[in-house]
Amino acid sequence: MSASDVSPTAPGSDVLDSPMQGVWPPTPAMLASPVDPDLSRAQAKRLRKAWETPRGWRHVTAVNNTHVGKWYAMTALAFMLGAGVLALLMRIQLAVPENGFLDSDRFNQFFTMHGSAMMFLFAVPMFEAISILLLPALLGTRDMPFPRLSAYGYWCFLIGGIFVLGSVLFDAAPSSGWFMYPPLATESEGIGADIWLLGLSFIEVASIAAAVELIVGVIKCRPPGMRINLMPLYAWYVLVVGGMILFAFPPLIAGDFLFELQRSLDWPFFDPDRGGDPLLWQHLFWIFGHPEVYIIFLPSIAIAAMVVPTAARVPIAGYSWIVLSAVGTGFLSFGLWVHHMFTTGLPALSLGFFSAASEAVVIPTGVQIFAFLATLMVGRARMILPMLWIAGAVAIFTAGGLTGVMVALAPFDWQVHDTYFIVAHLHYTLFGGMVFPVIGGVYYFFPVIKKKKLSERLGRWSFWLCFTGFNICFLPMHLTGLLGMPRRVYTYQADLGWNALNLVSTVGAFVLALGILVFVWDLVRPKRHEPHTPRNPWGAGTLEWTHDVPDEPWGVRSVPYITSRYPLWDQPELLARMDAGRFYLPDAPEGLRETMITSAVDAVPLHVARLSGPGWSPLVAALFTGGAFILPTFKIYTPAVICGLLAIAAILFWLWTATARIPEKPFKDGGLGLRLPTYVSGPKAPGWWAVFITMLGDATGFASLVFGMFFYWTARPDFPPPDSPHADPVLSGIAALLFGAAWAATRLARGLNAAGLIGAARGSLLAGPLLALAGCGALIAAILHLAPQTHVYPAMVWALVIWTVSHVLCGAIMQGYCLARSLAGRMTAQYDADLWNTTLFWHFLLATCLIGTAMVALIPRAM
Amino acid sequence: MAQRHRSLWHMIIAPVIWALHFLAVYCFSAIVCAKAAPFGWAQGGVLAMTAVALALIFWQAVLAWRQWDFLDDGDHVHERPTATSRREFLGHAGLLLAIVSFIAVTFVTLPVLFVGDCR
Ligand code: HEM
Repeated sequence: MSASDVSPTAPGSDVLDSPMQGVWPPTPAMLASPVDPDLSRAQAKRLRKAWETPRGWRHVTAVNNTHVGKWYAMTALAFMLGAGVLALLMRIQLAVPENGFLDSDRFNQFFTMHGSAMMFLFAVPMFEAISILLLPALLGTRDMPFPRLSAYGYWCFLIGGIFVLGSVLFDAAPSSGWFMYPPLATESEGIGADIWLLGLSFIEVASIAAAVELIVGVIKCRPPGMRINLMPLYAWYVLVVGGMILFAFPPLIAGDFLFELQRSLDWPFFDPDRGGDPLLWQHLFWIFGHPEVYIIFLPSIAIAAMVVPTAARVPIAGYSWIVLSAVGTGFLSFGLWVHHMFTTGLPALSLGFFSAASEAVVIPTGVQIFAFLATLMVGRARMILPMLWIAGAVAIFTAGGLTGVMVALAPFDWQVHDTYFIVAHLHYTLFGGMVFPVIGGVYYFFPVIKKKKLSERLGRWSFWLCFTGFNICFLPMHLTGLLGMPRRVYTYQADLGWNALNLVSTVGAFVLALGILVFVWDLVRPKRHEPHTPRNPWGAGTLEWTHDVPDEPWGVRSVPYITSRYPLWDQPELLARMDAGRFYLPDAPEGLRETMITSAVDAVPLHVARLSGPGWSPLVAALFTGGAFILPTFKIYTPAVICGLLAIAAILFWLWTATARIPEKPFKDGGLGLRLPTYVSGPKAPGWWAVFITMLGDATGFASLVFGMFFYWTARPDFPPPDSPHADPVLSGIAALLFGAAWAATRLARGLNAAGLIGAARGSLLAGPLLALAGCGALIAAILHLAPQTHVYPAMVWALVIWTVSHVLCGAIMQGYCLARSLAGRMTAQYDADLWNTTLFWHFLLATCLIGTAMVALIPRAM
Repeated sequence: MAQRHRSLWHMIIAPVIWALHFLAVYCFSAIVCAKAAPFGWAQGGVLAMTAVALALIFWQAVLAWRQWDFLDDGDHVHERPTATSRREFLGHAGLLLAIVSFIAVTFVTLPVLFVGDCR
């Protein structure tokens, strides 16, 4: 492979000029020719060896998606049960008036923790867990593109979740509600709010990591031939939801960042006395919060989109329409944010925009439901158990949607705002849109996951208990709300007419809980003595049902060539050929874990990726990252910094040893007469895409801070204060120039390196970090005279500078990393993926730096 | 044109226009109202932005309609493993998204017409 092979290609211009050699697409004769059984057995043995899972206590180093996904899902389920116990305790307290079971502070902690845990520790992670677990199977691929990243994300989630949820046991939990409105939360005593902010930021970072991985998985890891119009609908939803996580979470992280600065350093972002404004938090929270509702509920539609065609035994009706509605909802849901702030006194005009957007989102949502109904009507539908759960979900969700339309009409909202009507609406949407479909999905996919079936009888018991219990619990709450009972009260007086309704709700809650327990028992009860499931028990048509029974570690025996949306229905020889190793990558002669990377739109084979295997580094990195986030809640700063540095070291070690390894040969035989490169860099490489996508999210976080600056300018007449000093213009200008030079050094290094001028490239990579650090120094010097505690304006300037400088430090580390790789011979003129990724990072960083310095030094002068 | 036929990005141009329009309208009217300029400015500016956005989306819809090529073969399922099927699928989905975006942009503009001032 020569350097010119890796010519830059804009993202989206699908790489069709791939340097693969040989036959594409495979001819029918090639596909039909049998594989020698002895050869096939020998291949299978080598493959099994390469994918072997570590045993014993080393099992925790496993990174395979089937293991990490299982742990992830079970952990999210455990957190859900924990949050459910809190809900039951609350219901006991509310069962009778003037009850003394919980005091007011406990109750506040409980509802805050219940809401936060359900949203952040269950709903979103559950989607990611199930997707990590199933996506490779749905796509007929071996594993996720970055197995160690999934493992890292999982360990972060586990540590952060235990920390956040555990605080409830020590009476130290946050208590200001799951959206933490200031000033309540900025001034609250104790460490509860810090636990919320830091613990959940930590988990959000892990969520974003998983989203990046899932997006890259869908775009680059589809089996050869699976063009974008053949992709299973679930994958479309993963793409959309991943994208939404990418744009919705960063504003919240930016908000957390400001919030924590206020709590620990007393910078007045939300303090009106010093120019701040609590509304900024509400904006940032709900820019996240409303898409969040759809982030939670789209994956369930995705599950339904897999179950419905199987139940109806016909292909889904209106594939393009469903794609439309998924993508459309993904976009429009971002227009809904102020919807939640109807009663906060925003100008009527901007409220109008959001009311309008709330209504527009109904169109795509309706389309999805109609497509499913159409499919069921065309086919010969069977009420298989998963379908029962989906049907229940649709019933509940529709009811929730109707009350939602009522809430979206601004005048009605003033009536029921903050009453139990909202609590009822919220749970109808969440149970119908998330809990029921997910349980249905578990019943459906369980044979793929465990190679056993769940019990039909227990499943039906569980369904009916949940369904009736749910309605007994939450239906009366609409009425309780209309009768005026406010949410978030720990008790009420006996003479308000709410007694009977509340008692009924409590009884319903326990019936519901019993139903959930039946399901959980079914899930975890030992099944050792039960027979294995048939391979395709539901008669489905998609690739996950080519799984091996009993279990094999390799994902798929060979990566198939796909020509249909329902390969198992339309490609009759597919299964036998996959098993025989007729398709791609049937062997692991080098003993390495490999998977196929294909082009984004047409799934043309591009590259054989070597995946990272089991290792300690993700676990160690997660432990130290946890320390860096968790210790500051207890105001322990020095060890936190040390943890942060160790986390960086662990991540560098992991990257150094396990990524962009120079292959032993540039091309290898991929099967079916195809020779593929074993190393690619730039836009052909999954790693490049991961950086690109991560940086989109990062840019969103930065944009949120910039938004904050403009927000204060429009919301406050005295921003920036007329007599306030500004950043030093000369020093800021110098900083901008230095950052520009550091960027140029990186870009230049890539060109020089590719041209074989290794020495010059190294010089450039040495100059880069020095210039970058000098730039940081100049930028900090430019604002050193501003006192962030006095007013929100200097505080905002400082926040922007902290953000910029910390990113530049990352950029400098990456430059140094490339230099070290080059010196160690792990990066050469040909094998330069690290440098490509670093340059991409710096492209984004340059924009951050220039906008950042302009926001600090130029714009405020013009305001 | 060939580029468009195999690009996911082109499929989502219309909703991206919606998003940009939404942001522009929201920021613009917030600024006009906060800085106490006459409300007519807000109305005029928003309507102008809407006109531009709608024109762009309409143009995207036309391109997508041509790419879909429905009248040619009446195909609206696009389930075949061919470049044509993929091209038509991306066109079809792009067209539907353009329609939804068109409606959404209109919805977002309506309040400006009905609300008389910033309040
Ligand atoms: C066993 C089932 C459940 C019961 C009995 C239940 C009950 C409750 C109760 C009593 C409240 C507090 C209302 C108040 O005092 O204002 C509440 C709030 C809430 N619940 Fe649930 N819930 C259940 C399941 C769920 C699930 C599965 C989710 C999400 C996936 C969820 C999300 C929420 C949220 C976000 C809040 C708002 C918290 C806040 O006000 O800050 N709940 N729930």
